[in-house]
Order: sequence, then C-alpha cells, then structure tokens
Amino acid sequence: MKRRFLLGTLALVAGLASGAADAQTTLRVFSGGANQRPDLMRKLFDQYQAANPGVKIDIETGGATSELQRQYLSTVLNAKDAAIDIYMIDIVNPAQYFGAGWLEPLNAYVGEPASAMKPYLPAYAQANVINGKIAAMPAFADAMFMYYRRDLLEKHGVAEPKTWDELSAAAQKIQKAEGDPNLQGLSIQGAPIEGAVCTFLLPYWSQGKDFNDANGRMTLDKGAAVKGLNQWLGMVDAGVIKKNVAEVKTPDTVNEFKAGQVVFAINWGFAWDRFKDDKDSKVAGKVGVMPLPAMAGGKSATCVGGWQWAVSAFSRHKPEAAKLVQFMASANAGKFLAAEGSLLPTIPSVYAEPEVVKAVPWFKDAAAVVLAGRSRPLSERYGEVSDTIRTTTSAVLARTKKPEEGVAEIESRLARVMR
Amino acid sequence: MATPSLIERARDPSERTLAILLLAPAFALLALIVVYPIGKLIWNSFFDLRLSGGSGAFKFVGLLNYEDVLKDKDFWNATKNTVLITLITVPGALVVGLGLALLANLPFRRRWPVRLALLLPWALPLSFAGLIFAWFFHTEYGVVNDVVRRLGGLGFEPQTMWLLKPNYAFAAICLTIIWKTSSFMALILLAGLQMIPRSLYEAAEVDGASRWQQFWQITIPMLMPSIVVALIFRTITALQTFDIPYTMTKGGPGNATETLAMLIHKTTIDYLDVGYGSTLAVCMFLLSLCVTAVYLRRIGKE
Repeated sequence: MKRRFLLGTLALVAGLASGAADAQTTLRVFSGGANQRPDLMRKLFDQYQAANPGVKIDIETGGATSELQRQYLSTVLNAKDAAIDIYMIDIVNPAQYFGAGWLEPLNAYVGEPASAMKPYLPAYAQANVINGKIAAMPAFADAMFMYYRRDLLEKHGVAEPKTWDELSAAAQKIQKAEGDPNLQGLSIQGAPIEGAVCTFLLPYWSQGKDFNDANGRMTLDKGAAVKGLNQWLGMVDAGVIKKNVAEVKTPDTVNEFKAGQVVFAINWGFAWDRFKDDKDSKVAGKVGVMPLPAMAGGKSATCVGGWQWAVSAFSRHKPEAAKLVQFMASANAGKFLAAEGSLLPTIPSVYAEPEVVKAVPWFKDAAAVVLAGRSRPLSERYGEVSDTIRTTTSAVLARTKKPEEGVAEIESRLARVMR
Repeated sequence: MATPSLIERARDPSERTLAILLLAPAFALLALIVVYPIGKLIWNSFFDLRLSGGSGAFKFVGLLNYEDVLKDKDFWNATKNTVLITLITVPGALVVGLGLALLANLPFRRRWPVRLALLLPWALPLSFAGLIFAWFFHTEYGVVNDVVRRLGGLGFEPQTMWLLKPNYAFAAICLTIIWKTSSFMALILLAGLQMIPRSLYEAAEVDGASRWQQFWQITIPMLMPSIVVALIFRTITALQTFDIPYTMTKGGPGNATETLAMLIHKTTIDYLDVGYGSTLAVCMFLLSLCVTAVYLRRIGKE
C-alpha cells in the first residue's frame, strides 16, 4: 500500500516536471553574495524573461566572501549537482573549475575566443580562456583602488603620493598634525583572506616584477618579495598601518574608513558606494581615488578581481543557459550594472558611455586603474596558491615569521604547484 | 516451566531465521551509512584524485599518498596541535565540568535556572562559540583587553594581540573549547551524581568522615563509570576539533593552530585533492581508533 503510494507520488512528480519542461525552461542561477548585487542581477533577469517568454530564471545567493562561495560551489559541483545551471564565479576560479571538468566550454555557443572575447579588457579575456576554450564570460570587473581623504590631504597641503615612501611620509604628516591617536595612515587587509593575496602582490608588482609567466610558471624574485613585505612592516613600525593588521579583513577597512579613522585605504571597487551612500558614513563627499603608489623606480600596479558567468557542465539546459550568459556579458548589461550599481564594466568602451559617465563620474579615473590591473596567478591549483600566499603573508604581518622565512616558504610550497 | 534462554532460542532454526530477518534492515542501513563510506574513503586513499586535473590524476598510486603523509610537515604539525588540544581540553573540561556538576547538585530551592545555565553553552553551535570568543579576544574591540587594562595590565603589553601570537592563540582556543565542552561533561556527571545513594554519605558521616574524605572515598569511585563515558565521548570529539579554531583563527597565525580536521577540510575542499584528503582522513581515523581502543581496554579490565 505504502509502496504503491510512493510510486504514485513519484509518477506524479515526474509528470509535473516533464510537463513544466515542455512549456518553459527554468534556469537556476547562483548569483554570489550581497557584494555581487543579486538585486541588480534580478532586474537584468527580469528584462531577459520579458524578452524570452519561454525562460524563467530563479536566483540563488550565498557566501559573503569569495572563499565561502568557493567552498560552497566546490561541494555542489563535486557532487555533479544539476540543480544549478549558471554560476557566478570569482576571476581566480575559472582555471580550477574548468580543469575539474565542472564548466561547459562555451565555444560552441558564443564562437571562438579570438572573436568572442575581443571586446573585453585583456585581463578578463585572458582569465576566462583556458587552452583555447571559453570557460566563462565576464560579468563585471573589479580592482583594488587607493581611496584617500581628499579633505585631509587638502587641509594639510599634501599632494597625491606617487611612491609607497611618499605615502608613508604623507600619512605621518597628517596623523601628526591631526593629533588623533585613532587615525590610521593606511588600511590594508592582513587577515588570511583572499584580499591578503593582493596585499602580498601589490608592493611586489609595483617594483616591476612578475609573479608568474604566461604559462603559469612561478617567476618569484625573492629579494623583491622580501622588500615588499618589509615595506608594509616598516609602515607598521612607523604607526602608519595599525599593528594588528593581521586581523584586518575587507569589511574592517571599509568600516574604519567610513568612520573617518583612516587617511588612505586599499580596497575593492564596491567600497566607493559604501563611503558615498551609507547613512553611517562620515566621509561622504570627502573621498578621492588615485592610482596605487609604486616602489621608487617601479611602476604602479593593482590587483584585478571581478566576476564571471559560467555554465555548469551538469546543466540540463546548456544552450538556453549559454544564451543567458551571453546576454549578461553584453555591453548593455555592463552599462546597466555600471549606471545602477557602479559595478565596473569589463568592456572598455562602456566606461565612456554618456549614461555611465553621468551616473558615476569617477569611472573616468577608474578605467585607467583597471586597465593597468594585473591578474593573480591563474592556476588549476589556485586553491593552494591562494592559501599559501595569504596564510604566509598574514603570519609575516603578525610577526610570527620573518619576511625572509615567509618568502622562502612561499617559494618552496609553490615551486611544486606552479610549474 | 522456565522460559527458554536466549541461547536456546537462537539454536531453534525458526527463531534464528526470524532474528536474522529482523536484524537485516538495521545491518543494511548500517552498512550503507557507515561501512560503505569508510570503505570508499580507504579505497580513495590509494588514488591520485586531484579534481582540478594535472598529469597523473585519477590513477592508482598504491601507498604513495601514505608515504607523502609521513613526510608532510603540515600533517605532523596538525597532529601535534590536535593531540595537544586533546591533552589540554579533555582534562580541563573534566575538572571544570565536575565542579559545575557538584555545584548544580547542591540542594537549590529552584533547580531549573542552574540546569538551564548548565545547558546553554552546550546548546550553542560550536561555530557561534568560536565567533563570540574571537570577538572577546580581538585586539581593539575585544572585552579581554579591556578587562586586562582595567586591572592594570597584569604584566601583559597594552593591546595584546591574543589571536596573532601562536601561544596566546593556542591558549585562547583551548579556553574556548573548555568553556564550550565542560557543560556536556557536567550534564553526564550530574546524572551520575544523582545515582549515588544518600545513605552512603549518611553512613560516612556517622563514621566521622570529613567532607573531603567523603568526596574522595564515595563520590569519585561511584562516579567513575560516568567519568569514563564522558571522557570517551569528549576525547573523540576533541580529536575531531574543527569549528572553534576555524572560526577563531582559521588555523593562524601561519598554521600554528591548524588541527587535523582543518587540514583535511583544506586539502579536500580548497585544494580539491580528494585522494590525499582521504589519506589524511584515514590517518585521523586510525588515531581515533587507537585512543578509543585504549579506553575500551581499560573499561574491559574493570
């Protein structure tokens, strides 16, 4: 009796499911956490649904940070779950996920990389193509920016610093003149989070050095890496960076800058809106953005981030999903996201669109920063690369390891991974 | 007419078939959820299962993973941390838990507030406890540094970075685990305390035994079975410590507070290296098995 009931229910459910599939395709999209603005993505999905009546789009969000999302997605994709058709993934993940066979190559749907990826900024065209296959399409760009208190710099007659040493001197001058013991000169992220990978790379890159070659092989210059870490530690000793920097996460920098306790802050693009729009922001209208300083004799470089749309290899609606991804990666979608949410476009021409320039005037400065941005090492084993760099950087900033020890550890661990 | 003993009934063919039939579903379920995963885990540990690919992936590698484990500094570091956490927090929780149980066993007029206070830390999810204590120990916003400052420094440097110094971080984690787990100890011990007949204490008092003598001669020996049960449970969970260090320090600074369970999680979920992760898990399983065997032998002797 019970069994017959069970079978009956199964048949009914199966019938309903197939019936629904005839009438309509439902695409389920994993759309990241709050910082990836699922609210705006929903609006774009609504536009798409209106234009394509046969498609219904469900949205799923989760994971406030890139690491949390990576852990969740690794679990879902490892189980070959067909429930989610499209994933929004961090720029560091396409290589790893594609290597694992979790992403559907998009060449058959959007064309070959040479033409399909041509409109995008080089960093994104490069990160999403693996061995000639398009693993994902860019959603929006991001980069580490140097935010500063324009009012304080003007008040104390300080020019925008061009080198890290100039920044340190400028910060000390302002801190001294203001006389506030809680005023930090510079806020960077030293906790063992994804942002700490950039904290390691920024002063290293700004000496004109590369961490890896085009084939993903490591080209670490140990001397330069030690010098980069010592740059931060010197600023901690000078009181420019606070001494518990190894505890600082991305939101800490945002909140402390918003509370008016920071002169210079390095953070992702989303922070701009938080400084400008949040009700508890004490710095609205007083914030400037400038290119990151370089080491003396080096050149300015920043860390690009950003998000991509990928079609699951386990999806049952790949053609429909690929079509939606193409729409979400289009110049029009990029324009909407830029104007509505100041999310940085991945297509250079969008920065100059009149609507965008009007809505977010600071993007005219941002374009140059993003264009000069560099990618974190692209590797199938990025999980290990990231973990090694951020854990070691955090330990060095906590002063439990000397910079020389930390760099030697990064080299010995990654020599096996990045070859 | 006496009813047939269990053994006699088992010899009866019809009864035996029935017994097997009745037990079969339970065994099948057990095989499905315990034997199969453990078997699969051991099977996986002989393969190179790096999900993100690479040359040699998805191949049988024999004992290579086990050779690597023995040479792996991270494995030994995590094992050392796990064993240290176990050696510190299990006796720690036993002592604190016994104290709490004795306190809760006092003849209060209202018992429920005491019992509730005892239950609360146990009911709190581990990761919540970790996050709460991480705030307590935060350099700038934490209550610990505030209390230390109000007490005149206590010989610590101002604004001590509790979770950024290996030894302090380790101590903070142990303290949190003891706070979190002593209520579980106390609950089991309280049940044991309430089973000790009052008459024993009355007789001891008649014989002129002091409170101290009563505690060591009556309470502790009568409580021994409960203590052993509590210790077994607590030791096994201590060997699997994950949530509290993960939320408090993420294993940092460096990997000074990384436990075996965290290393397995990192290898499998972050590095997507299922083969090596399985090997580490088998090693952790063997460690738990050894410790449990020691306890079981002790119980067997008694």
